[in-house]
Amino acid sequence: MSDLQSLSALDGVSAAGRFGNPDGNAGVTLTERASLGLATLEVRKDQAVALAERVQAAYGAALPRGPISANGTGVRFIGIAPGQWFAVSETLPNEALADDLATKLHGLASVADHSSGRAVMRLEGPAVREVLAKGLAVDIDSRVFLDGAAAVTSIGHMGVLVWRDGEAFDLAVFRSFASSFYGWLRASAAEFGIDVVT
Amino acid sequence: MRITCPYCGPRNLEEFTYRGDATVKRPDSLDESATEAWVDYVYLRKNPAGLHKEFWQHTAGCHAWLEVTRDTTTHEIVAVELASKGR
Repeated sequence: MSDLQSLSALDGVSAAGRFGNPDGNAGVTLTERASLGLATLEVRKDQAVALAERVQAAYGAALPRGPISANGTGVRFIGIAPGQWFAVSETLPNEALADDLATKLHGLASVADHSSGRAVMRLEGPAVREVLAKGLAVDIDSRVFLDGAAAVTSIGHMGVLVWRDGEAFDLAVFRSFASSFYGWLRASAAEFGIDVVT
Repeated sequence: MRITCPYCGPRNLEEFTYRGDATVKRPDSLDESATEAWVDYVYLRKNPAGLHKEFWQHTAGCHAWLEVTRDTTTHEIVAVELASKGR
């Protein structure tokens, strides 16, 4: 069997370059975070304490109880619902993350691979909050939406998981929505100027 | 109208789906003698003017089922808790 090849969700949709307002520095920069390991985990019945201990031992992260992330060794765990987390990894790319979680958390959590199901886009720059505010009905002021904070919500009727990483915002959308979402993003960022890095 | 999800925080109504009256209780018995209780459970609803308990699901967010106490005359929401009650 041939190896599956990881392809960009924005291939043929976005071109690299500057769009919208051409004056000065771009208000936001968009980078696709391709080939990430993405997985969801859901605690099994009555295993919450055991799961938290196993995650701490295996990944060095304290599983959050709310919509915020915990960074472990190579894996970010994001609270998305009571008893459910979204895991993101660069060091365990694509389906390697789900395989690793399923092995290490066997019997304590149900793990599903999302690496080919979501597109993750990173937005950063001085206008990032103003751009997101056009579609995101969640308070993302830095005083309340702290580093690592996350929200499962929707933008323009498209389901989105957003989390803050330092001064950057990562946006995960279902992969088939990547093109529509990119359309919203480019239009919303046009007045500030957007640099697309591919 | 906004609902403060116990997990996600305050969110717009469009993220939630109404899931029905939270005051009715499913009868334990499947016996024929429980027919009247089943009719009550399946068909009969009160229509209170004032405080009412309702199930809402945070479908565009964390997907949790919520038990919401709402004033039907003012739409004021006085309490929201997870329907699972932490179980």
